[in-house]
Amino acid sequence: MKVALVQFSPHLGDVKKNLNLHFEYIEKAKKKNVDLLVFPELSLTGYTLKDFVEEVAITPEENQLIEKLKAQSRRISLVFGFAEEKEKGVFYNSAAFLSGGKILHIHRKVFLPTYGMFEEAKFFAQGKNFNTFSTPYGKAGMMICRDFLTYGASYLLFAGGAEIIIVISAAPGRGVSGEDYYETSHMWEVMGEVISRFSTAFLIYCNRVGFEDGKHFAGGSFIFNPAGELLAKASYIDKDFLIQDINLSDIRETRKKWPYKRDDKPEVILEALKRIVSKYED
Amino acid sequence: MKINAPFVEKILTSFIREETTKFHYSKGILGLSGGLDSSVCAFLAAKALKPNNVFALILPYGKSYSEDVKDAQEVSKLLGVPSKIIDISPMVDTYFSRHPTKSRIARGNKMARERMSILYDFSARKRALVLGTSNKTELLIGYGTIHGDMACAINPLGDLYKTQIRQLAIHLGVPEKIQKKIPTAGLWTRQTDEGEIGFSYDEIDKILFQLVDKRKSKEEIISQGFKKENVEKLIHLIKNSEFKRKLPPIPKISARTVGHDFLFPYDREK
Repeated sequence: MKVALVQFSPHLGDVKKNLNLHFEYIEKAKKKNVDLLVFPELSLTGYTLKDFVEEVAITPEENQLIEKLKAQSRRISLVFGFAEEKEKGVFYNSAAFLSGGKILHIHRKVFLPTYGMFEEAKFFAQGKNFNTFSTPYGKAGMMICRDFLTYGASYLLFAGGAEIIIVISAAPGRGVSGEDYYETSHMWEVMGEVISRFSTAFLIYCNRVGFEDGKHFAGGSFIFNPAGELLAKASYIDKDFLIQDINLSDIRETRKKWPYKRDDKPEVILEALKRIVSKYED
Repeated sequence: MKINAPFVEKILTSFIREETTKFHYSKGILGLSGGLDSSVCAFLAAKALKPNNVFALILPYGKSYSEDVKDAQEVSKLLGVPSKIIDISPMVDTYFSRHPTKSRIARGNKMARERMSILYDFSARKRALVLGTSNKTELLIGYGTIHGDMACAINPLGDLYKTQIRQLAIHLGVPEKIQKKIPTAGLWTRQTDEGEIGFSYDEIDKILFQLVDKRKSKEEIISQGFKKENVEKLIHLIKNSEFKRKLPPIPKISARTVGHDFLFPYDREK
């Protein structure tokens, strides 16, 4: 199958403009026979929303924009990020997987970074689940940015049977003392390789670029195969449109060689976790 | 504290270009003193926006810094950036002839604010965004005049220590004479930053880097071999200048208040 990643810079707070950008990339991807097109975190709205959240949030079931994207998904599967008003006045940082004219899954960001330069939990409610779901390409799971830097989140997708892990991100770069990329970009790549190896699954990471209030999103989107091999990497800090063929039979091939999935013992982990949590003193 | 200068150049030129476009400007304006920071900013702006879209104001007080004026002119010529010299002494002298003071700092601050006032006037005349030139060292120790040289629309250099700006200057090809200039706030003649603070920028930056970037405690830094009084002086300067890094507090009495819970990004697109 053919996967494409849109490493772009959405307009902050302007859903209409961003939707048009989404359509432009969809057209471009359709011409290249792309099967799955992935946009970064909060791609419909921009990242540093603060009080904009309530103005730009969307309720997917009753929204015209989402209907338009759903219609597009009859020909090309889409992953994008948006501010979601799931219930009245309750907003989430969400990722949607659209395919065959339907919403197959919505992931609501669980780990909302709220420290230093990040203040997501001030403006968003916390998601509660890491679910996998069936797609035309196999079982998939999604994470949003900081979710992916949480040890247990990837495991839950693995335990849930994910064969394709999709991470959408708005990760700002930090550290300029080394190579021609941010030091944090290296961290994401290392995590990408490790998680693809642990999960024996495809790992698709789509980050954004551009500045918002001085934060510089670092790009460097990438795809690892289930054996932890880097298949493709987008440029750092510049806009990019990355297209990559992936071979879904690699999942089976890798799992024959590395039977981590066969040998996993979620029930042991579950019981052990229960024992740890039961000993909490506060 | 070493930086990858070509990478930093790329980041900062993209920043200048993107922010200017976002605010629907195509031009930038800056005050050019003939010193290191404003020269580096001019080099970056010329690369980001093209020289014709940058306007440099050279704002000396009388003839007291004619060497600096020449250096500033050289930078503008070298880059092909249009510039204009405005002597601020008539405005400043008129004011102080009516309200005299012996305080060198008060005079210096007034001059910095006179320059700001002219920069913002020309920003409107030229429809050009004011580019700041305050570096991280100055911002941290409060070595700038509030509403004076610290005033700007965007500040490309604000996360680079003075010694890192020197590294960037070498990479950008800023004239050697300017690279090696002894840093001064120009508040009065023969003032030097290092003379006033009491030790070198090299040491100031190393201590600040440990304090701020590495989040080390005073004791840890002293145990690394830095002088106790130098570390304490910098901690004191940082504490005393917090007001220069913040918007003024507003007493919250309503349901929604500017600065408290009326919260929007700076990059709010028009």
